Amino acid sequence: MSTIIVTVSRRLRCTCVLLALALFAGCKPGNETGPNPTSKPRVALVMKSLANEFFLTMENGAKTHQQAHAADYELLANGIKDELDVSRQIDLVEQMIAQKVDAIVIAPADSKALVPVCKKAQQAGITVVNIDNKFDDTVLAASGVKFPFVGPDNRKGAKAVGDALAAKLKPGDGVIIVEGAPNAFNGMQRKLGFEDAMSAAGMKIISSQSGYWETDKANQVVASLITEHPELKAVLCANDSMALGAVAALRAAGKQTQVLVVGYDNIGAVRQLVREGKILATADQHADRLAVFGIEYALETLKTKSAAADRETPVDLVMAESLPGK
Amino acid sequence: MIEPRTRTAPFASGWRNWATDYLGLATALGLLVLIFSLATRHFFSPETFRTLANQIPAAMLVATGMTFVLIVAEIDLSVGSVLGLCGAVVGVALTQWRWPLWAAVLGGLATGVFCGGFNGWVSRRWRLPSFIVTLGMMEMARGGAHAVTKSQTQYIGSTIEGIAGTAVLGLSFPFLLALALVVAAQVILSYGVFGRYMFAVGGNEQAARLSGIDPGPVKLTVFVISGMLVALAAIVDTSRFQAANPNAGMGFELQAIAAVVIGGTSLLGGRGSVVRTLFGVLIIAVLNTGLASVGARDEIKRLVTGAVIIAAVIVDYYRRRLNQRQTS
Repeated sequence: MSTIIVTVSRRLRCTCVLLALALFAGCKPGNETGPNPTSKPRVALVMKSLANEFFLTMENGAKTHQQAHAADYELLANGIKDELDVSRQIDLVEQMIAQKVDAIVIAPADSKALVPVCKKAQQAGITVVNIDNKFDDTVLAASGVKFPFVGPDNRKGAKAVGDALAAKLKPGDGVIIVEGAPNAFNGMQRKLGFEDAMSAAGMKIISSQSGYWETDKANQVVASLITEHPELKAVLCANDSMALGAVAALRAAGKQTQVLVVGYDNIGAVRQLVREGKILATADQHADRLAVFGIEYALETLKTKSAAADRETPVDLVMAESLPGK
Repeated sequence: MIEPRTRTAPFASGWRNWATDYLGLATALGLLVLIFSLATRHFFSPETFRTLANQIPAAMLVATGMTFVLIVAEIDLSVGSVLGLCGAVVGVALTQWRWPLWAAVLGGLATGVFCGGFNGWVSRRWRLPSFIVTLGMMEMARGGAHAVTKSQTQYIGSTIEGIAGTAVLGLSFPFLLALALVVAAQVILSYGVFGRYMFAVGGNEQAARLSGIDPGPVKLTVFVISGMLVALAAIVDTSRFQAANPNAGMGFELQAIAAVVIGGTSLLGGRGSVVRTLFGVLIIAVLNTGLASVGARDEIKRLVTGAVIIAAVIVDYYRRRLNQRQTS
């Protein structure tokens, strides 16, 4: 009995407080409604794994850009611990909706699972810009939304790397591909790009296996395949960490001069190897600018209220000649 | 349900027990090699085995430490992250702090010893399950690895190459070192006083205490040994790749536990053998290499690896029953 009374009175008290707040808010002049006292737009950057060097570079690039343009916008950068932690990223987007940000720039951890929550954001009047990992087209169509994708064409980039490699090989030479994690869209695109280049030049793809983006896994795969297929002429890796593993495997097998290696991403650790020719080529997607491209696009959209169209960002081929000397 | 202690000492109980102890695992390993040799062109070749031997030292070292930890009825989930951290310290010490090689290697070893000691001391001091403490260390060490390297892979180059260089017959120095350590560890387990203490503490801590063995120092020592072996593994891998990646060793703890369990070491403590763990490491390594040589699809690789782990443990169950019947 007494509990019910307490509950009722509590609820009443709550209602009173809420009413008072509502009245108070209503009485206030209308120019200050949110927690945002200035008219600077607030942009939320929702990243994938900050444990990954590539995404960290992206985030740091965005932070530097914001500091240089502090008058133009506010930046809220968030990332998940593990690239596969999809539910945590969904939570993050929901928090950003609750915070009433003006725009969300997102690198989705899953190209399908993040669509519904981003749709919710869009319905709440937030500009959503997709970077890095493109949302799945069929899911977008099925849920009747569109988000502009601002980012590099991984397939084109990988094709360029593959073409550079093909120029050093003879038609019919055997090559292997070390793929990224099997569920990653960009990894799939890079694999397709490598395949495009290899089949165009008439190379023989002996095997294509996943190295899960990691040095030691790639090392194991390449070491196994080099013994099984001594005729091997080149290894195409979907990222540079795996290229490091491939180089180590070739060194251990004493085949560094016979087998060429290419990578992707142009991380700092491979620059020396590219200069020495131990890695023939890699691709630079300008990781430090990828998030910035997305943020700039979001700011433009906020200003002009323009319709959403995709925008392709540059990918550069990196070889020994294109690197500045020691 | 206390099992007879005699079986824990493989060398001590006659060649017959010795044979039953290793026969099952050796057969499983032989079978795998046979299957892959038939399925591929070049699997059964000296190069394959040399490559394998040079790839597994890190796994051997970590799994040896893990065997010790499981024997004293504890667990160490932090080995993968600590491996990443030790490698990161070595890498950054060489590339950015410009330390000489010996100092960087010592720094890496000290890091591993510190992490292991921390695990052992904290779980002892506050009577916490090592599962929780090492879970915390797993996060801290990974965070540390990223902090030290600023999340950038460190390319070291040939400065560190020497450590993983070949010694005799194309076998690398790390492999010989790991092999020597496995033998030493098994001798300690089978004949050493400390080995007997470990089995006693892991089998029944209360009984061990009542018979005058203080479990505290024993467990602390085991965690320090594990940390040091992990650090050695990190140095070996860093040298092999000539690069230190802050994400190195991700998921390594589960691979190490799998190898130890395939070798028949009990998760409940009090029973185990390092030589059998070596068989576990070999089975996993042959499986990985073989499946890659065959060109198996990724999902198949994972299905087969998981199934082999379970099958190996089932086989071990029957081996133990057979052994028990022989002794009773």
